[in-house]
Amino acid sequence: MPRAILEVRDLRTYFFPEEGTVRAVDGAHFDVYPGRTLGIVGESGCGKSVTARSILRIVERPGRIVSGSILLRRDGNDVGVDLATLAPDGKEMRRIRGGDVALIFQEPMTSFSPVHTIGNQIVETVRLHQGVGKREARARAVEALRLVGVPSPERRVDEYAFQLSGGLRQRAMIALALSCSPRILIADEPTTALDVTTQAQILALLADLQRREGMAIILITHNLGVVAEMCDEVAVMYLGRVVEQGPVDTIFHDPKHPYTRALLRSMPSIEARVRSRLPVIEGSIPHPYNRPAGCPFYPRCPDFMPGRCDQIEPPSVSVGDGHEAACLLYAETAT
Amino acid sequence: MSAPRAVPLLEVQGLRKHFPIRKGFLRRQVGVVRAVDDVSFHVEKGETLSLVGESGCGKTTTSRCILRALTPTEGRILFHAATGQLLDVAALSKRELQPLRRQMQMIFQDPFSSLNPRRTLLDIVAEPLVANGVGSKREQQDRVVELLRLVGLRPEYMRRYPHAFSGGQRQRVGIARALALNPSLVVADEPVSALDVSVQAQILNLMQDLQAQLGLTYLFVAHDLSVVRLVSDRVAVMYVGRVVELARTEAIFATPRHPYTEALLAAVPKPDPRLRGERLLLEGEVADPSNPPPGCHFHPRCPYAVEQCRAETPSLHEIAPGHSVSCHRAGELALRGVAG
Repeated sequence: MPRAILEVRDLRTYFFPEEGTVRAVDGAHFDVYPGRTLGIVGESGCGKSVTARSILRIVERPGRIVSGSILLRRDGNDVGVDLATLAPDGKEMRRIRGGDVALIFQEPMTSFSPVHTIGNQIVETVRLHQGVGKREARARAVEALRLVGVPSPERRVDEYAFQLSGGLRQRAMIALALSCSPRILIADEPTTALDVTTQAQILALLADLQRREGMAIILITHNLGVVAEMCDEVAVMYLGRVVEQGPVDTIFHDPKHPYTRALLRSMPSIEARVRSRLPVIEGSIPHPYNRPAGCPFYPRCPDFMPGRCDQIEPPSVSVGDGHEAACLLYAETAT
Repeated sequence: MSAPRAVPLLEVQGLRKHFPIRKGFLRRQVGVVRAVDDVSFHVEKGETLSLVGESGCGKTTTSRCILRALTPTEGRILFHAATGQLLDVAALSKRELQPLRRQMQMIFQDPFSSLNPRRTLLDIVAEPLVANGVGSKREQQDRVVELLRLVGLRPEYMRRYPHAFSGGQRQRVGIARALALNPSLVVADEPVSALDVSVQAQILNLMQDLQAQLGLTYLFVAHDLSVVRLVSDRVAVMYVGRVVELARTEAIFATPRHPYTEALLAAVPKPDPRLRGERLLLEGEVADPSNPPPGCHFHPRCPYAVEQCRAETPSLHEIAPGHSVSCHRAGELALRGVAG
């Protein structure tokens, strides 16, 4: 495998509201490779979106990165730059954001300005990052829209976000993100607001663009079907921690962490028995203020070991080729 | 031995709901959105019928007409009331509807916005009882205790406010409220789509248990076919205001007869990376219900469309026992379903 283009190590992003500390991301680590897709999956509150915002340094106050590193290597043998140490609104970070690393959101309606045309917004980005003239930038905007499959882009470029359907809007969002040929595309729930047939179109588009442009994709989603369809590597998060990560086939066919196993079992499948019951994960995700000590999953875990899981934070240990799990079940065999 | 003839609880016949499009200072009507356009189906007592389709297909509008949250433009909605009467919900006045409303209740999609944050669980679950003047205060409270137990919540929590509960627990509260008046029909509009995967399963299981225990009839409105498969006896697939296919769940999934159903099934991502591969991608977008294409509404996106599809509107007809489809070519096409 080539060298990672992005290495996240022990990333911790905490929020400090008046009521106490929320450890939104609490020790995330993963690698992102050029031309490959890393899926970050988890349920609400697992920290997957805050992880994305941390990489782009757009974490909102009262949150901030308290430790860890986010190493971006612009090309293969570069020593890289640690995004965690840059000033969030400094010149270098602004060049990286939208230039080297681009983001597409879940709701394309709110991510576009309602008072500027789609074209204007792409033109602005292109001129900012690539320093080209107005005419040239407009031509690139039309080209970008054509690339993502927006029909009659010469006309659509002058339309506003509200004039487009959900699927077209998401395509325009992708065009905006790709207009500066980023090396890394972070897609945060890119298809969650879309219908299933539109979702299939957008996923096919992302896969196609990746093949052509060779960019790395970080796909953040709660939908395990989308992960199975799109990703090469998967990181499963629960309450701010990466509890398991590995190649997609291993995660789906040989999951090690009790949370990953339970999540896969409890997922409704299109091939399940008609009118059947699903195995459930008991309980609910704890409130971030009442985060359990030790392993965050122990109160819901079928393999809970009293006196250990509720006291020791399980370290991430290797359980196979490129496969890691943060669970004391495996820590014991390792030591 | 022949199967006992199922008793219908609800019969929808030729339902239409059109919304006018008005423009300008004089609010002149310039067009009409045919949100529901000639929809017919029935729901049997004790079964779960699911309405599925993509946004704008009219599934929610249909369910709202049945509950008379909207007044239908045309058509009949026959409800077999507990009293034995057969009533046309579409034609009743507000006052005549009142007693009927107790027999039809709704579970909402978003457990965060459907519960009043300033009222306790007791107030919320007791509200239908209070509004309908059922029982004394004491009896109402006893009933709330019973209902909370029924949905798996601890009655001790009834003086707490919704913010103290997780999404799954709030959805349980919503279900308890819907069951307060012993309804016979429960309309559940996307009841689990706002919940996390690990909690979805709990709520789906609970709904199935309650159905068995209380003999409930569900009209389930959803877009997630995996969820629909788990809970439904029969499925009606809608596209741009019309039912395009209606059959038993096994048949819809294993042997779909409408090209749209086939495309919908193919679009669901399979939760197994080994099943990746080339798949049928539906081109284009859902038609605009204010200006639908002529003939079959699906023809511009249909890979099997022929000249007839552009000109003639197909009608829903039975192609196999209990399996209806509205497609000119249904008899000759061999469509792909999903295994299972």
